[in-house]
Amino acid sequence: MIIPIVAVAAVTLATVGIGAWGVRFARTTSDLYVASRAMSPWWNAAAVSGEYLSAASFLGIAGLMMQIGVPALWQAVGFAAGYLALLLFVAAPLRRFGSYTLPDFAEGRLASRQLRNLAVAAVLGIDTFYLIPQLKGAGIAFSEVFGAPYAVGIVVVAIVVTLYVALGGMRGVTYVQAFQFWVKTVAIAVPAIALLIYLGGIPNRATVFGHELPRAPASGLVVSLARSQTVRFPEATTFVTSQGVGHARAGESVTLPPGRVALPPGAAVPLPPGTPSQSGREWARPVRSEGEGAPLFIYSLLLATFLGTMGLPHILIRFYTNPDGPAARGTTVRVLALLAMFYLFPPVYGTLGRALAPGLLMTGQTDSVVLQLPSLAWPGVGGQVLGALVAAGAFAAFMSTSSGLLISIAGTVSYDVWGRGARGVGLTVRRRRFRIVAAVGMAVPAVVALAVRSVDISILVGWAFALAASTFCPLFVLGIWWPRLTARGAALGMVAGGAVAIGAITAGVIVGAQALTGPLDSILTQPAIVSVPLAFAAMIVGSLATAAPADIGAQMLALHAPEGLGLEVLDQARA
Amino acid sequence: MSDTAAAARRTPRDELAEETAHGQLYLTRLRRAQLELSLLGLLAFGGLVGSLPLLFVLVPSLEHIHVFGIPLPAVLVAVPLFPMFVAIGAIYHRRADALDESFRDLIRDE
Repeated sequence: MIIPIVAVAAVTLATVGIGAWGVRFARTTSDLYVASRAMSPWWNAAAVSGEYLSAASFLGIAGLMMQIGVPALWQAVGFAAGYLALLLFVAAPLRRFGSYTLPDFAEGRLASRQLRNLAVAAVLGIDTFYLIPQLKGAGIAFSEVFGAPYAVGIVVVAIVVTLYVALGGMRGVTYVQAFQFWVKTVAIAVPAIALLIYLGGIPNRATVFGHELPRAPASGLVVSLARSQTVRFPEATTFVTSQGVGHARAGESVTLPPGRVALPPGAAVPLPPGTPSQSGREWARPVRSEGEGAPLFIYSLLLATFLGTMGLPHILIRFYTNPDGPAARGTTVRVLALLAMFYLFPPVYGTLGRALAPGLLMTGQTDSVVLQLPSLAWPGVGGQVLGALVAAGAFAAFMSTSSGLLISIAGTVSYDVWGRGARGVGLTVRRRRFRIVAAVGMAVPAVVALAVRSVDISILVGWAFALAASTFCPLFVLGIWWPRLTARGAALGMVAGGAVAIGAITAGVIVGAQALTGPLDSILTQPAIVSVPLAFAAMIVGSLATAAPADIGAQMLALHAPEGLGLEVLDQARA
Repeated sequence: MSDTAAAARRTPRDELAEETAHGQLYLTRLRRAQLELSLLGLLAFGGLVGSLPLLFVLVPSLEHIHVFGIPLPAVLVAVPLFPMFVAIGAIYHRRADALDESFRDLIRDE
């Protein structure tokens, strides 16, 4: 207990310390928002990756993999591939355009106040959507690691993040994010490698890749249920609960009472609804006929993550901290390399978890496998130290992503909504507004996170990506590469894409489509494969139906002309 | 002074700065070349990742091949795609910068 507390406290103090140190550099409005654009590509790349690797990457992928199998890894593929799309279509032109925020881009490119307001709404929607699962993850991790109530983790992370965002602005946070990328990478890589060496490879291979179901180990399996839970027994077995000895037939669903539940050695582990009963060989198949391994769901998820990353406001604002277009490209390639390194490790936890932690499968707490695996797999001090390391990494994950999202919210509101028509307002006033908005901007999702304990992290994050891919992605791709785009067309596409994405998700929640039994369920749970093409189509048709935009030569020049041409117009716009 | 003589003395840089039809043509050419390069990168990515789920569906016997004791399909999803993204990205980065550079040469030299 004491080792993880020390580790988490150390990461938290270092975070606040670096944030406070960074604030000394925040002298101007430009510093506060985009760090004076003076960061080197490696600093920027580490900061982008640090901001990006959230609870979904650090805990969610391993947990989902343990629960449903290898198809969970498509999520990691999509998370990394998103930067390839960003590199190919957005990075350099967006940086060259020289705007502070996404609404700035929308208005600057299409000269429409209305579109700017729409972009502001989309930014706030995506950020808030994304912030809720981060805080939820923090709440769960606090209760898993420290035994504290769910609300405590949310409140602690919310306060720490609000403090250093409000005090440090972006400059401080760039260093913090870069630091936290390395915390997360070390925290996931070192225990994974150490455990594989300690265990001498992957144990219990029949359960992982062979014909076996997950079974209670030779000493039997004892789990502790916080509340009563319904599970399905794949094979007939006896079990012991607080109410005495029970019998289950093969395939029978039983509601277990809260408290201790014991299974005899070798008994097939009973599973909660949503966790498929599968042999190791089935578990290791990356594509299935249904569920989260169905090809339709995989393609929709890949589309959402591939195209959604470029529409995440808290990530894109980081690209403005590059000095010029080629540097923005260089940063993105480095991000791809850093993520390639990180994403090697979550599958280790998912695999070892399946082999060694059947109790988590039974209780449905697979999301905590990264946190619990070290002490389960390696009894004694070794496991405790490694467990403290992953706990510190998990908190770095919540804090870095939450802070990036909060900066995006605070920057957008204080600059776009509150700061409206007051560009001459002094830095002191701006900074005060930024701080007030940061506090309010964190309070709202924190309250929601307290209320939505039962909603799954990876699904919530998938929705944020779907929304981003259905609104900002077509706006960027067409806005940058298609001069014929009009403000009306862009607005139509953003509204159509956003409405269909949100509508499908809402309908899916109402009918309970997350069980994923048919093609319609795949689309209602991850609507990107429908909503993204629709948004593109609506933007194109809407633009062609309205008058061609007059005189956008200057915008195209700003987006695409390389640096160093000696054109004064350009150099001023990009300064 | 005739119009053609005046046009002859104007450099591509002036054309670009003044957004003349000529200047816009230069820029449109650059934009199209960059877009073609990006679409080529997209094709490489789409072919790589998009074909993988299909491959697993069409050739289920791949799971009988083991690499370090792990079924091949699981290995293919977990490891090689990430370095390939980096490779596609790095090649794109170099060629996109080169397109920018040749545009700079065009504008400066004439």
